[in-house]
Amino acid sequence: MKLEEYKKIVDKNSSKEDKFKNVFISFIIGGIMGVLCQAFCTFLNKEIGIKLEDASMYTTIMLIVVSSIFTGLGFFDKVVSFAKCGLIVPTTGFAHAMTSAAMDHKSEGIIKGIGSNMFKLAGSIIIYGIIIAFFLALIKGVI
Amino acid sequence: MIYINAFIICGIICAIGQIILENTNFTPGHLNTLLVIIGAVISFFGLYEILIDWGGAGATIPITNFGHLLFKGSYEGFQNGGFTGLIKGIFTLGQVGVTISIIMAFLVAVCTKPKH
Repeated sequence: MKLEEYKKIVDKNSSKEDKFKNVFISFIIGGIMGVLCQAFCTFLNKEIGIKLEDASMYTTIMLIVVSSIFTGLGFFDKVVSFAKCGLIVPTTGFAHAMTSAAMDHKSEGIIKGIGSNMFKLAGSIIIYGIIIAFFLALIKGVI
Repeated sequence: MIYINAFIICGIICAIGQIILENTNFTPGHLNTLLVIIGAVISFFGLYEILIDWGGAGATIPITNFGHLLFKGSYEGFQNGGFTGLIKGIFTLGQVGVTISIIMAFLVAVCTKPKH
């Protein structure tokens, strides 16, 4: 069998997920996340009296703590496979990447396993964020 | 009203991420890196503050906000203390998420047994 025929058969039989449906689901889930976090932030700001900047900081912390614990309990992956980008793009995805990388390599020990593999997935986010922010700030500052 | 704004803006950012993920062969790691860079670039043009004023937590939840915080911290540092301030300031705002993530990831990894 030639390679092209094989590719045709693979294309025909591989499952096609509905793109529009996925985008719609991630829009809805992402929107709900935004509303919930806004409610939490408003609650902290108005009811407890924390400054608005600190309140949004605590909202981020809450998200990270919750998603790390859910990852540890093992059902975050199932939720992500349904919610798609609705949970990858918020800070939950970042915390999930770090926690799952640390958990996967736990068997190699605390230093060589958890320590050196924790940033395996999430390290690129921090590294390229810093590189880009550094040069952009330098450019904007000099100009 | 701010709830509707938060819904719209967070939803749109997530939908953009999903569109990128559907039409390229990116992994979520690529996607998050790209979004951080986009956030820093939006912040470079001074538009991210407007988004936060308009959308509240809807704009501070997505990972783009991390890029914004890195840029904002380094730029404010540059204004206060030149190059020294830039190096000192680059992490001042963005460190919260990273610190908490590291601590939580460590605690969770130590306390749980991975399934195989």
